[in-house]
Formats: sequence, C-alpha cells, structure tokens
Amino acid sequence: MNHLIIGGGIAGTTAAEEIRKKDKEASITLVSEEFHPLYSRVLLPHYLKGKIPRERVFLKKESWYAEQNIDWMVGITALKLDAKNRFVALSNGRELPYDKLLIASGMDVRPLFGNLPGVMYLRTLEDADEILEQTNPTSLPPTSHLPALVYGGGFIACEFINYFTNIGWPVRVAHRGSQFWEKFLLPEAGALIRTHLEANGVEVLPHMPEPEVAGKDRLESVSFNGKAMPCRALGVGIGLRPDWQWALENGVKVDRGVVVNEFLETDVEDIFAAGDIVQFQDIVTRRSIQVGNWMNAIMQGRVAAANMLGEKKPFRLVSSYATDLLGMTIIFIGDTEKAAADKVEIEAKPLENGLIQRHFRNGVLVGAVLMNQNKERAILTKQIDTARP
Amino acid sequence: MKLTIKVDPDLCIGAASCVTIAPETFQLNEENKAYVLDHGQEPPPRTYERVIEVTPEEKDNLIMAAQSCPTLAIYIIDEKGKQLFPEM
Repeated sequence: MNHLIIGGGIAGTTAAEEIRKKDKEASITLVSEEFHPLYSRVLLPHYLKGKIPRERVFLKKESWYAEQNIDWMVGITALKLDAKNRFVALSNGRELPYDKLLIASGMDVRPLFGNLPGVMYLRTLEDADEILEQTNPTSLPPTSHLPALVYGGGFIACEFINYFTNIGWPVRVAHRGSQFWEKFLLPEAGALIRTHLEANGVEVLPHMPEPEVAGKDRLESVSFNGKAMPCRALGVGIGLRPDWQWALENGVKVDRGVVVNEFLETDVEDIFAAGDIVQFQDIVTRRSIQVGNWMNAIMQGRVAAANMLGEKKPFRLVSSYATDLLGMTIIFIGDTEKAAADKVEIEAKPLENGLIQRHFRNGVLVGAVLMNQNKERAILTKQIDTARP
Repeated sequence: MKLTIKVDPDLCIGAASCVTIAPETFQLNEENKAYVLDHGQEPPPRTYERVIEVTPEEKDNLIMAAQSCPTLAIYIIDEKGKQLFPEM
C-alpha cells in the first residue's frame, strides 16, 4: 500500500509514524514544505523567552525518517492533485502516485500588505529566529525608545504582547474589532481582557483598520487611516490562510477548511485530511468546525492513520486550547463560536479577576471559555463530553 | 515495572494532551499545570513527580502521552535511571 502524506507538521508526521507502527511494509512518503525535521510550534514562545535552547524545539532527529523507512521529501510543496488518476504533482517536478492520500498541509500566516525589517510574524522557526534578531539589543534602531505595536486580537497577539513585555518594551495593541476574540467572547469577557491589559501597562486601540507600514531601511512607523504612529517593531497576528489551492481543481470539497467527516475522510475516496487545514464533523458538539491547535492535529494524525489502514475509527475529542496573557490564563473548550450558539452566558468571578462563559445549542452545553478559572476546566470538559455521549 | 514520571511545570502550558491520553496519571492543577497521579489516586502531597508501578500497556500509553506534549514537559525514567522519553 502506497501512502502519500502532504505536510510534514505534527498531523502529517504523526500519521506517518502511526502507519509505520501498524504496517512495517507500507510505502510512506512525507512531503514537507519546511526543511527542518518536525519541531513544536508550541515551543516557539519558550524559545523566544530563552527558556529552552533552539535545538530543544525539535521533536524528531533528521535520522528518524530513514530509520522509520519514511521517504521524507523536504522543501517541496504540492502543486496539483489529480484524484482521477491518483497522483499529486510536486514542486520538484515529480508526480507521486498514491493508494491513500493525507492532506495535512496546514495553514500559512496571513500577512499584512507591505513588509520591512521590524515587521514580525510568529508561525515558523524562521519567524522566531527573525524576531530574536530584530529585537536583539545590539542591533536596535534609533527609534528604540518607542513602543512596540501588536496588531491582532487572538492567540498570536497574546504571544507578541507577552514577548515584548518580557523583554521590557512598552506595548500597544491594536485590532480591527471592538475587543479580543470578537467572534468568540461576549463584550463583558472582552472588557475583562482589556482591563487586564491596561492594568499591565498595555495601551489598547480597538476598531483599527489594517495598518500600512513605513520606514526607510526598517520599520519606523505604522499608519492607520493615514495617521502615522511611530513604533520600533510590529508583531502581526491576524490569522491564517489555508494552503489548499493544489487540492481544489476537480479535487476535494472545501469550506472554511478541507471538509471531512468524523472519520477524517474527504468527499473523494481514499483522500483523508488532518490538522489545522480541516473542517471536521465534530461528534462531540455535532457541528462541522475548524479548530487549529496542537492536540487536535496530533490526535487527528493518529485517527487518519488508522483509517488510511482500513479501520473505521471516528475522531472524538473535546477540543481545547489554553493560553497565558500576562498572567491571565484563558482557556477555550469545545465549540465557542458565538454565532453557532443559541445562548451564551457569563458567570462573573470578580474575586479571581475571572469569569466563565458558557455556550449552549439546543439546550446542550457545547463550549466554554474560562478566564482565571482553571479549576473549572476538567468539570466543564467532562460536561461537554458527556452532554451527548 | 516501576517508572518515574516527572512534569517540568516551567515548560508545561496546560495543553492537556497528556490528560486526554492518560487521565489516570495526569490532571491539571489550579495553575493549569499537569501534576502526576498514581492510577487515579493521589496520595498527598500533590506532586509533579511520582514513581508508579505500570504494566507494559500502561507504559506504552504513558510514552504516547509524553510524546504528545507540545512542550516536551514530561519525562519518563525507568528503574535503572534510563530516560525513556524524551530520548537522549
């Protein structure tokens, strides 16, 4: 059996590893856009803060792929899927046939228009290296007394705020909406984050359109609606875009992600998808959702591998993601999109400077957001999991 | 066999992969860090490190839980002091 996996991140690599565990004879090809062995994107903030050395971000050694008899192709992307003739054309000119195909090509960072040194993103190891270089005290520009600006209102914005604060830079954060995680949080929860940021000296600028960047050799200022705001660095976290063009023509169905059922099967026979790129039928909350995080990617890699080997194993997991924003722990559990709920309610916890936000659909708890309420995590996860066994 | 299971709380970010895979060994505390249990039991004090007796299947599952940790915050050490994960 010939297994072709497009994407060398955690979903694709886990699938390759699981297939090899269960089938010593199978042919496995893993096509990776990046040149590195598998590394943990989740460790990049630790690497930035100097908690771990660079070599500790890697989860596999280069020799691992050959030891596992996995044909590992690096620096290569997929260009075209031919589902009828069952092959994928690659950027190195080869056309690879498959019996089973896994689409795990992930997401790319969505960039701002315009780029200059000092404008930073945080998705890849190279991005983290670039951030360290651009914030190195020995190479700071004359504008180094100015605040750093963060543009965005989600997880990556949190990481930039934490990082700039950690190195002692004053921080401003601007975002398009009225608050952080506008699609997910009620105004009361958004206001709690803003108050927390301001109490920690971060200036918050809501309702700001995407900025234009300006500078001679490096970033000197950004402008919103033509009004310039000098800054020494800009950390951008405005979301991701899928890397699926190659799979579209006569290929698989896509919506917000590559659409798969609970078995991670696309609408085309023998083509599966896993990781950040998928929009999967969530059997816990009974909705087709997209949740890009580590735990989903690794668990989906395992389930996809089982199903590529002919099992019929459903993916079942109460999705969750936790982050820290200047000491406030924020945890999302289950399906927390406001528009998909018919009731969202907040329980304030003023003593802990926190709250619990609960999401209901058809009278059933489907999601929750916790701020400084970690002790409630296990209880709510179980409630969501068992609401629909 | 006996294994030492250790969590580095400084690296743990509360991603909860270990809790999902091996809930009888890992749970999250109020700081959103994983602590270690012995087959669902928690002889005090609450701790980030414990020596527990496991079957070969439980050992495999614990290694899978450690492998799933995105910050490699879980260490598994055998009776002879050999670190089984992360591999040295």
